[in-house]
Amino acid sequence: MIGTLLRKTATVALVSASLLGAGAADAETITIAQNFDPQTLWPNGTTASDNLNAGSAMVEALFWQNPATGVIEPLLATGVEMVSPTEALVTLREGVSFTNGEPMNADAVVHSIEIFMDEDQTPAYSRVSNLFASVEKVDDLTVRIMLSNTFPAFMLALSQISVVPPAYWNEVGLEAYGQNPIGTGPFVFESWVRDDRLVMSANPDYWGEAPAGITELVWRPVPEDSARLAGLQTGEFQVVKDLPVSAIPVLENEGSVSLVTVPSYRIYQIGLASHEQYVSPLQDVTVRQALNYAIDTQVIIDALFFGRAIPLHGQVLREPQPGFNTDLDDYGYDPERAREMLAEAGYPDGFDITFKCPSGRYAQDREVCEAVAGMLAEVGVRAELILLEPGEFLRQLRTMELAPMYFVGLAPQDDPGFQASQYLSDWRYSPIANAEMDALIEAGATEVNPEVRAQIYRDLMALMHQLAPIVFLYGGVDIYGVDARLTGFQPRGDGRMFFYNVALEE
Amino acid sequence: MLRYTVRRLILTIPVVFGILVISFMLTRLSGDPTDLILPPDAPDSAREAFRRINGLDRPLISQFGTFVVNVFRGDFGNSLRFHEPALSLVMERMGATMELAVAVMAIAILVGIPTGVVAAYMRNTPVDISVRGVSLLGQAMPSFYLGILSIIVFAVWLRWFPSGGRGTWLHLVLPATTLSFQLIALIARVTRSCMLDVLGQDYIRTARAKGLSERRVVWLHALRNAFIPVLTVIGLQVGFLLGGVIVTETVFSWPGVGRLAVQAIYARDFPVVQAVVFLFAMIFVLVNLIVDLLYAAVDPRIGYR
Repeated sequence: MIGTLLRKTATVALVSASLLGAGAADAETITIAQNFDPQTLWPNGTTASDNLNAGSAMVEALFWQNPATGVIEPLLATGVEMVSPTEALVTLREGVSFTNGEPMNADAVVHSIEIFMDEDQTPAYSRVSNLFASVEKVDDLTVRIMLSNTFPAFMLALSQISVVPPAYWNEVGLEAYGQNPIGTGPFVFESWVRDDRLVMSANPDYWGEAPAGITELVWRPVPEDSARLAGLQTGEFQVVKDLPVSAIPVLENEGSVSLVTVPSYRIYQIGLASHEQYVSPLQDVTVRQALNYAIDTQVIIDALFFGRAIPLHGQVLREPQPGFNTDLDDYGYDPERAREMLAEAGYPDGFDITFKCPSGRYAQDREVCEAVAGMLAEVGVRAELILLEPGEFLRQLRTMELAPMYFVGLAPQDDPGFQASQYLSDWRYSPIANAEMDALIEAGATEVNPEVRAQIYRDLMALMHQLAPIVFLYGGVDIYGVDARLTGFQPRGDGRMFFYNVALEE
Repeated sequence: MLRYTVRRLILTIPVVFGILVISFMLTRLSGDPTDLILPPDAPDSAREAFRRINGLDRPLISQFGTFVVNVFRGDFGNSLRFHEPALSLVMERMGATMELAVAVMAIAILVGIPTGVVAAYMRNTPVDISVRGVSLLGQAMPSFYLGILSIIVFAVWLRWFPSGGRGTWLHLVLPATTLSFQLIALIARVTRSCMLDVLGQDYIRTARAKGLSERRVVWLHALRNAFIPVLTVIGLQVGFLLGGVIVTETVFSWPGVGRLAVQAIYARDFPVVQAVVFLFAMIFVLVNLIVDLLYAAVDPRIGYR
């Protein structure tokens, strides 16, 4: 009797205590669970989305690329005027201050761009910044940027320059700034217990439209997939990033949670290296095309991703990107044709080849590779699967030790130029050396007329489809779980989350 | 006793040096951190700048020399990812790890030893058989699996405990019980077999013969004599525990050293990996020294000179 009573009391105490725990995250706090704790809150410190998401809630850039429209919209800058193809005048927003009172003006922007251009301080962005030649102040709200060449992705670059207050930056330095940043953003740094919780409060003096109904953001690093899912189900988290596909059936029936799926920038492919030095049957274009017929990408999408992956339509540009070629489509699964083409190329009995694959770098990477190896075996290509630890995989990607055949998911920045340049003959992990492709890639890299540029990339996609330097597999999908009360939440295909146009409804 | 302690401490010097060499070499063997920290399309000039700034372009032997000299000044270098001193990153998280480790040890000892004693005393009864069965299960079940299972049951279904993180004692319950499960099993099994051994000794019969209560015989005379091997196992299990926190901290989002270590290993953040390995090894060495000294306290026949 007493035992039962005690047990009951204990249960009640536990339940109420845990309710209290949950209640601490009141209606106005949004708790976000990501994989990792940020290393630095200075957005230009790394390109890792988990860092950028947290940092850019406080430190804003000149522009931002709105995930809902794909359009690059003004933020701290109001516009750009191209005086010539290599000279730009950037107009800044008037009356904006950093949260420590420093004015956001041309001095601050010049200071920030100088940091952005310095490879020692900003090595992760040098691919975007290396065309910046110089920057200077014109007047208090105008900055002149000189480029060393025409730069079609210039606006994208401007959307990545985060603006920092010069006096504070010079006082504390890069590292300390990353631990306690001051910016102009909708949120202000509050406290940070490493690997546990990063707390930000709403900026009461925010210059723009602050996210309605949210007074506090809490960022929690939760490395385990199932723990992020569990926290979403219990209401501990309102936003959860990078859910596994297996979470979809679990969450589809939860009314309080909405699933947000975002087409990722990541393009999954099997590299078929055909450079002169990588001697293999893949040097024959007929063989490379045959392998494209041998792989049933739709089965991979349906069976391994529950349909949550995107067909590539036989090209590496994504549908919303300029240069996406609507005339192209997937090769289609045709093992009979693959066998015929292999015979035609002189391999009636197929061939042996190594096939390198990362294990644990991408969603379902190992399973995809096993499926691919199985499908290749059907047409007589005996692929010896070599699984690599992610770090070793990246090293071999850089040195091209992955050649001749490897599985990779590449997520370049959202400009066709960055995507295309990965297939330049002398690029370190290009699978192909082709003068005709190089000419198109180089033309696209400097062409500033959008129509002409799009046509260049359409031609490039058609040529690449025919030359088949890769097996076109699928585009990734990122899965987020979000509290149903949160409206306007739209992550981007590079894992970036923003709090512009977001509101928490009662 | 004091001389023994000093001698043991001196003997740890080669151990320390060995740990430094091994942790340095193993991290370098794993490859170049530049590949993991910079994006794969970073230009060569940026890669070179990164290597130069972090001293990775210098010959290995000179890197090692600087590393050893700096370690003796308490400087493990700056983390390649956080740009902060590696040692302070580790020490910041040590409190959380110690909280978890102490809770786990306490649960394991307080549950494991009595369970083992009871199982030995009630040998071959259903109680004993079920204790043996559960311990076997406990030792066989991987802790990450048990952890995920307990999150689903106690956090999602029953909503008794939070699913992860650190804060109140409620946050501690799931990770601590998960991690202690294997230890309880091991301690109970060792205690049981040592107790069986001791309970058959002549002095136990003598104790009973002179009319001592059964409770005194078992819990005082027998347990104390069975305690030395148990103590040894507990000391050695500190190593298991430090390994176990790595998994448990990841599953339960516990902000400790183990999780830092996992991330540092994946990113090849050499300075952080080296600092964690060094500190964990030191803890292991010290705990086992303390265990050796405790032998003398438990068994008066053991003396150290």
